[in-house]
Amino acid sequence: MPTDFNVDNPPFSLLDKNELAILKNNLDIGYYQKGECLIEAGKPPDGLFVVLKGQVRESEAKEDGADQHVFVHYSDHDYFGAWSALKGKAIHDFVAEEETIAHILPTKVLLELVYSNPRFGDYFSRTLAAKTEIHAEHEGEDQGMAEFMLAQVDGECMRDPLVLLEGTSIKETTMLMREKHVDCVLVRKGGRYGIVTGTDLLNAVVLEEMSRSTDVAEIATYRLISVEAGDYLFNALILMTQQHIERVVVMKDSQLLGIIDLADVLSYFSSHSHVIGLRIERAKTVEDLSAAARGLNDLIRSLLSHGVKARFAMDLISAMNERVMAKLFTLLVPEDLLAHVCLVVMGSEGRGEQIMKTDQDNAVIMRDGLDWPDREPVLQRFTDMLIEFGYPKCPGNIMVSNPYWVQFLGDWTSRMNEWATSCVGEAQMNLAIAVDAKPVAGNPALFKASRNWFLRQLKDNDLFFSHFAKASLEFDTPLTFFGGIKSKGHGLDIKKGGIFPIVHGIRTMALQHRVIETNTFKRVDSLIEMGVLKKEQGRDLVEALSIFIKIRLRQQMMRFDAEDFNESPNIIIIDELDRLDKDLMREALHVVKEFKKSLALKYHLER
Amino acid sequence: MILPRKFRVMRERKRHRSGPFASLFEPYQGDEVVSLDCETTSLDVSEGEILSIGAVRIKGRRVVTSDRLDIKLKPPKSLTGDSIKVHKLRAMDLTEGIEIEEALDQVLEFVGNRPILGYYVNYDIKMIDKFLRSYHGFGLPNKAIELSHVYHDIIKWKYVGGDVDLRFDTIAKKLNLPILERHTALGDAITVALMYVRLKYGEAPG
Repeated sequence: MPTDFNVDNPPFSLLDKNELAILKNNLDIGYYQKGECLIEAGKPPDGLFVVLKGQVRESEAKEDGADQHVFVHYSDHDYFGAWSALKGKAIHDFVAEEETIAHILPTKVLLELVYSNPRFGDYFSRTLAAKTEIHAEHEGEDQGMAEFMLAQVDGECMRDPLVLLEGTSIKETTMLMREKHVDCVLVRKGGRYGIVTGTDLLNAVVLEEMSRSTDVAEIATYRLISVEAGDYLFNALILMTQQHIERVVVMKDSQLLGIIDLADVLSYFSSHSHVIGLRIERAKTVEDLSAAARGLNDLIRSLLSHGVKARFAMDLISAMNERVMAKLFTLLVPEDLLAHVCLVVMGSEGRGEQIMKTDQDNAVIMRDGLDWPDREPVLQRFTDMLIEFGYPKCPGNIMVSNPYWVQFLGDWTSRMNEWATSCVGEAQMNLAIAVDAKPVAGNPALFKASRNWFLRQLKDNDLFFSHFAKASLEFDTPLTFFGGIKSKGHGLDIKKGGIFPIVHGIRTMALQHRVIETNTFKRVDSLIEMGVLKKEQGRDLVEALSIFIKIRLRQQMMRFDAEDFNESPNIIIIDELDRLDKDLMREALHVVKEFKKSLALKYHLER
Repeated sequence: MILPRKFRVMRERKRHRSGPFASLFEPYQGDEVVSLDCETTSLDVSEGEILSIGAVRIKGRRVVTSDRLDIKLKPPKSLTGDSIKVHKLRAMDLTEGIEIEEALDQVLEFVGNRPILGYYVNYDIKMIDKFLRSYHGFGLPNKAIELSHVYHDIIKWKYVGGDVDLRFDTIAKKLNLPILERHTALGDAITVALMYVRLKYGEAPG
């Protein structure tokens, strides 16, 4: 065997033993001199290249004399060419920067492996999506399509079949179907299964005038159309369309696993979150709600593994989190009080920018003069329940269980005013959290009154904005003098280095220009529309923030899976990033650096 | 009778010109080379037995590892402690092995009339010849390429008057190449193939 081929690296670690044997049996080794082209733009590549030793650059197709833009460098153990091989044609040149020895996996074998192992295939599709994203300048949002294409037939979209034995009457069958809320059953006759749908029953009784005691086995259809478990859900849909049927049976190794219903497939694609959303809405007790809230983690994982853009995933998850909180609030707070109080979420939840369940930051605003003496135990229960649902406690104790964050409207506004006047230390932090507040339950008018008053108050107070903006320059951008990523010790705090400067800078500008939105992406959109922010800069900021969030989330997920809870969620381990992510990260940090410069200029800040 | 290899090949070519092995004796026209290596029980050809044979084709600057020969033979009686230490091949590792006769057929089939490349290649060829001659009555007629000579021819200009270190590991190090599975026949054959491609197409090592 040609060794030194590290099969522990993804995506090769996704292959099973037989597939690895195929891989190893088909590898060649190529030798390339400095300057030699391994893959030429416009031509079909030999296959997937894995660098054994040396360095290769991916650059724009060369035009004589012109400077080539280099996208990526590949060194030992990096792979490239999969995208080109799958497409059949390369769009970039891959040139040896130094003497290079590389393993070559012929395109034909690569394709075989991609087809035989969907997860292996997905791996390339994912980087493919990321790459097209960079190159095609974000044309259209076809992420939903990616999710659609890659969803597989598994437990999530499949129903357990209701199986009846031969000899069950039509009447009994109908009763069972009604009881179990299904509209089709499987009938076992000897060793065979047949299917009976609601329509079949209707036809039998009404049109054929059969008696209600007829054996259902007589009206069943025994020619079952099936798909294999693990096949793409998309294929199941095609099968149904071709055969003009609405149900297919799922088999695994000739064992019956379940049934897929056309309606389920469609609702799965219309929105995966739909199911959890319904469960939250339907929850009648705190226990129901708890079960639904726990399902959120799986939803996050599935969204992410399907390569859904972080920005859209965030929208969805924030909406879900809000619904959980709103529902819990209405379950706990007496109904007659709901019109006189308003639950607000603040900080990242208020901006709708968290994906994993992060700390709760919430508060209650009460109508002036409201008489609610026993509010403390109720609100304490609210906080406790959220902790139980998996929303960690706020380390700064900014929660409704803390009376400091349960205020009458008048006190709330005057306190915001105090914070704005002093604008240092804790006051500034509290203010930053509070201006991102968003009402989620109770009477939103209470919150709106306080917000509008506060925004009016700040109008033209340039001194305040200058003070407020300063915080975004507090932490250095982690870039070296030469423009590379600087990471001290074992990781890089992405919140300090990248996320906070963008979020806070945009927050300041939004306050100044009285943008009511709290979400940073939407704030940027509004600021661009008002002409405050240049279009290119705004777009860069949005991209940079998305990249930080996505990379942070991916590492959080990895730690979550490895049950490593020691690391701060904001630490990014640079060495664990693949090359593409590393490059994206560096570009994004440069955007942050530029943004800080423009803030310093705008708000007359000394650096 | 000791005849120079050249004369022997000429004589055997005449004899086998119209036999079943005629194609082996035709001069080679293509651009391929086969890198071949044997692991044996002894460095003395007269008493050595072959344990395994590895070979890989080189086409241009590509080492075609996907098309390779990796033969393990039935354990010979002479498999002793000393050689086990070198190859880490114990008798039990060889129980799956094939007979020497079949192995030779596979080698002839794989190599054809391509030139044979190796590190101290004459030893490997002599070893194979010893068995081949007793089965088919001829030795390998292929052109032999000695890696250390290729290396020496390139490197000698840089070491005027001095001796060139021709040890396997030194060459690999000088050429800045990874050594793949040292002391397996296939691993060594691949490494030698890489060295050859590197010497033939790369710049002279410093």
